[in-house]
Amino acid sequence: MADAASGSVDRSVQVKLVLLGEAAVGKSSVVLRFVSNEFQANKEPTIGAAFLTQKCRLEDRVLRYEIWDTAGQERFHSLAPMYYRNAQAAVVVYDVTKATSLEKAKSWVKELQRQANPNIVIALAGNKVDLVQTSAMSSGSTPSSESEDEADDATATPGESPSVSGGEPESLRQVPREEAQAYATEAGLLFFETSAKSGEGIVEIFTEIAKKIPIEHILASTRGGAGRSGGAGGRAGGAREDVNLEEQQSKKDGCNC
Amino acid sequence: MSTISTQLRNFKEPTKDQLTHVFFSIPEAPPVPLKDTEKQGSGDIEKMEINAILSFGAQEVEDSYAGKLHLLPPYLAFSSLDRKSVRFTLPLSTVRRVERLNARAGVYALSLSTWHGMKIIVQLTSLRPTADLFCGLLREALKVELQRGQMKAVKGFVKTCYSEGLVSLSGVSDNEREDGSLITETKEGCPAPETEFHGGLGLRFKFPGDPKKLREASKIKLWTTYLKNHGRNLTLLRYPQCTRLVQVGLPNRLRGEMWETLSGSLYLRFSNPGVYDQLLLDIQGTNSTSFEDIEKDLHRSLPEYAGYQSDEGISALRRVLQAYSHRNPEVGYCQAMNILAAAILIYMSEEQTFWLLEVLCDRLLPGYYGPTMHGTLLDQRVFESLVTRCLPMISDHFQAVDVQLSVASLPWFLSLYINSMPMVFAFRIVDCFFCMGPKVLFQVGKAILKINGEKLLQIQDDGGFLNLMREYFASLGDSAHPESADPRARAITRFQELLLISFREFAVISDETILSERRKYRNEIVNSIESFSKRSAVRNLKTLGRFTKEQAGFIYDALYKAMCDVPPPPTVAPPPSLLATNDGNQERAETRIGIPTFQVFLSEILTWARNEKIVINGFQERIDREVAEHELIDRLFYFWDTSCKGSLSFQDLVSGLDGVMLNDLMENIEWFFNLHDKNKDGYLTKDEVLTLSESFLFIFRHEIGDAYLGAVSKFMTNAFEYGDSLLPQHTNSKTGATEPRDIGHNQPYLNLATFRMVVLADEVLESFFETDLSASFRLEPVPDLELPPASSGFLGDLWSNIATQDNRKMFNKLSDELGKTIGKHQVIYRPTIGRFTKLEEPTARESLISPPAKTTSGSSLGTVVVSSSSSTLDTSSIHDNGPSSASVFSPMPHFKAVNAAFMERTPFAIDDAGDDDDDSDLDMVHGEDDDQVMDEVDAFLEAHDSGLTEADKEVAKDLLNAEPVK
Ligand SMILES: Nc1nc2c(ncn2[C@@H]2O[C@H](COP(=O)(O)OP(=O)(O)OP(=O)(O)O)[C@@H](O)[C@H]2O)c(=O)[nH]1
Ligand SMILES: [Mg+2]
Repeated sequence: MADAASGSVDRSVQVKLVLLGEAAVGKSSVVLRFVSNEFQANKEPTIGAAFLTQKCRLEDRVLRYEIWDTAGQERFHSLAPMYYRNAQAAVVVYDVTKATSLEKAKSWVKELQRQANPNIVIALAGNKVDLVQTSAMSSGSTPSSESEDEADDATATPGESPSVSGGEPESLRQVPREEAQAYATEAGLLFFETSAKSGEGIVEIFTEIAKKIPIEHILASTRGGAGRSGGAGGRAGGAREDVNLEEQQSKKDGCNC
Repeated sequence: MSTISTQLRNFKEPTKDQLTHVFFSIPEAPPVPLKDTEKQGSGDIEKMEINAILSFGAQEVEDSYAGKLHLLPPYLAFSSLDRKSVRFTLPLSTVRRVERLNARAGVYALSLSTWHGMKIIVQLTSLRPTADLFCGLLREALKVELQRGQMKAVKGFVKTCYSEGLVSLSGVSDNEREDGSLITETKEGCPAPETEFHGGLGLRFKFPGDPKKLREASKIKLWTTYLKNHGRNLTLLRYPQCTRLVQVGLPNRLRGEMWETLSGSLYLRFSNPGVYDQLLLDIQGTNSTSFEDIEKDLHRSLPEYAGYQSDEGISALRRVLQAYSHRNPEVGYCQAMNILAAAILIYMSEEQTFWLLEVLCDRLLPGYYGPTMHGTLLDQRVFESLVTRCLPMISDHFQAVDVQLSVASLPWFLSLYINSMPMVFAFRIVDCFFCMGPKVLFQVGKAILKINGEKLLQIQDDGGFLNLMREYFASLGDSAHPESADPRARAITRFQELLLISFREFAVISDETILSERRKYRNEIVNSIESFSKRSAVRNLKTLGRFTKEQAGFIYDALYKAMCDVPPPPTVAPPPSLLATNDGNQERAETRIGIPTFQVFLSEILTWARNEKIVINGFQERIDREVAEHELIDRLFYFWDTSCKGSLSFQDLVSGLDGVMLNDLMENIEWFFNLHDKNKDGYLTKDEVLTLSESFLFIFRHEIGDAYLGAVSKFMTNAFEYGDSLLPQHTNSKTGATEPRDIGHNQPYLNLATFRMVVLADEVLESFFETDLSASFRLEPVPDLELPPASSGFLGDLWSNIATQDNRKMFNKLSDELGKTIGKHQVIYRPTIGRFTKLEEPTARESLISPPAKTTSGSSLGTVVVSSSSSTLDTSSIHDNGPSSASVFSPMPHFKAVNAAFMERTPFAIDDAGDDDDDSDLDMVHGEDDDQVMDEVDAFLEAHDSGLTEADKEVAKDLLNAEPVK
């Protein structure tokens, strides 16, 4: 409860992060894994959006993520701007076993790049890799990138070791790692394959985002006394696409009363 | 989002009639007439309302109330003057006997006996002839019901209701309902084998909550008494006690049936027997995108409830959601519906749930779950405005720290709080919601804000707001006054406090308030949804071509307007399953238009695709615009339909226009050539050359002067001359002259190079291809000369435009007629290219037409019919909702008041945590419990105005003992 009030007391930097992606790709599960290191097999769909916070240590600095987990169904789309306005980071999630979910992810990226805070850091996450894991790691990805991630991150969740055990066929996989990686590179996104179930890749996303966030920028704008952590992009950047409410209010009131 | 829906445009304000239906929860469409009696559809019978005084109960258990009696075949409904104290909706088939009572002079009273043996007395207080008319109509309506066999249906139907068993089990004579007053007691009616009443998963998997804590037994006892005396299910009479019993929470076993009764979904189930089962048969083996979405969420609906860890619960949920999405494809399936359906299925059978969903999505929460969710957005806007009005400090603070109310409140409304609070509490809100209607959601929402007012003034951002709300909801079971010295005050839970504040302080929020607020903000919401979908549509274009986003936006506007005028047939798109679109997950098939819509679309942006008649009739000068039809337009349609689907998407239109609008001379010539080269072999046939010439003539049809006509005939001459000369020559054996070989009319004849040469040989055609062709496409709103320019933008204008179109047409027609009679009526076609505004060489033909000056510019046209904008509505009625609405937010004095109120009562023990008696036997009723429930019931006591004077009451009392007229 005192969260908001005490926000300024510690030296942590607040970062507003939004999760977007098709319904049931595992957005809420990714957040749950990150925030409380849990996994629930049947998670209720998100209605509107859910809000969670989690701290993330990065070198000498502590980031406090304010995470907005949005609803995935297409018809909730028009609500999304309400949540991604002022966001400094976004995780766009797709499901590696569902090709269409990558298409949806691409359209989210496009929308974010056009409508959201111009400095927004976007990560693409191919979730549910546990369903397609094979002995050969993730479909012949460059092992170097994987080990790099692990090296960077001391706080990686335990039990994460990619299951090298099974020689499972990859019949379930519909999105080749390379394809998504190539797209991410081209669009300038961070890219991870993750599993909310096993925990693989989850912490990495958030630490990599933390590294890429222009923290000084945020600090400067917060100190400016705007009261909002999202001062960088400001209202003008994010709120324009807002279907919802607030914006026209003052104007309309004038002529209605 | 590639679906462009114009549905929002077609919204019509509900008529008074419809509102009455909604108020009484009467299904909108008359039930499908049974096969044997089609002739007398219930729609034929007249509706009527009449002033009446309702008295009830031989034992004088209730006061009499003045109100209105409505005959709405096949229902008879009553509501007290205040519209909340007393009401009923009786299917006429449950009315067993109607008698005229022998009463004092001047009193006209009827006695009605219902199926369950209740005797209602209604005094018709209107003038005698009116009362006679009403009785006549009532008699007719009853006869029709009898003929439809509905009277028989009642018997089988009530058996499906839990209350029947409840009341008869309670020992008292249940033969009341067969007390001889039945009009038709036919035994042959099939006594449905279903002796089983309908019930939900809770019967097998337990209901949420501790029955002991919920005081189930006491509640059941109170309800049994109420239902025995006041009728039940189809015949329930709602007196103030009913509402209060609902407010303390329905008992689990009765909850499903009461939801059904209070919401009126019962009437749907009653009048549509077998429909649900038929739907289940219909959907077997079918598939849809909704089904896929449903499948994803089946295991994600109240997963912690035992019933949804079993196949039984999951299958029921699947069937209900699928059946609903199939019946109402416009809504289909929306996340949150799964949670509602799952919650309802705990208390109701599948069939009951299905009909309740229908009432929910159609009537109670209109537009909440459809693809645009406009109802949700609208109600959020309304909620916000109500908060601004009643809790200005909170709303000011939110504005100051840039917090959006709807980040928290949207899920409250969308899932009826089920997703936000512990289920036992949410269900109590749902109880009230079904009983009192959607205003409950607003009342509770405001009470939540008010209770947390001080903390809300501390929050700094959206996140803080949500956290505060989450903590509050988690603490609803705690004492509202933990510090209080008085144990009775400590026993009051926060949830009880919430309901009390909701219904006491925010009782001012009425159905009318919400209706008028919705009216006020509808346009705003519709406009913002539309501009949002416009931006999405533009963003999702695979290619903009050479257009800017703004230009593409205008193409969208034109398309949108065309779709409003001529909606594309819904079946134009192939079934979604076949749609292997590259765009992945479209919720529905892409919007594609056919030729009729395309013609309108083109007429919006292309000068020669419309005819503009300048009409001068002496009273006004105006431009009548009509859509031009020509083979060339159809040709364009197919030319742009590159995927050969017989329809065009937004992308097709953008790409198509890109191919012509931004070209230079050579490109334009080539484009025009290709447009006419049907088989794309690089040659026009002779036929095609002719068609092409006709196209020219069509384009130039309204040009002034002979220049274009001349150009086209020159073109034809040259084309055939050059064309022939290029054909392989052969020598005519008879004449010896060389002449071109005769070729068929559909043989390759003229190639692009030749065509170009021919075109360039003519100055007029050259300038046509150089500039005029491209310029005849205009990406700017066609100036609507009959409307004053409005600041709200193109789409905004459209709205008022549509609203008054008919009126304007009538006005125009009238002035034309007048103009003709006084000989001032003139019609001139406006040129589409308008290069020559003066007659080059006036000929006899043109001189018949009026002076050219008139035709140069539309803007000089003076008289304009001003359409009255209806967007400003009378809001005075909701402005002053009593003193509380204007007061500044001040929680403290209020809490004191509530406290004081509580002190005077015995404790509310329903949620009393101190009671650790483990006995959950429902039949064990402690008298003490009953009192405590009653105490809580009393807390909801409101003044109920019967609307009667003492003298009126005397008369009403007498009537209770009056004898029927023979
Ligand atoms: N095997 C596996 N299943 C997962 C994983 N992540 C999520 N799931 C499952 O996928 C389903 C959907 O997960 P959610 O986290 O609710 O998905 P969401 O994206 O939040 O969905 P919406 O809120 O509807 O947009 C749940 O049944 C999860 O248990 C994963 O990494 N591996
Ligand atoms: Mg979710």
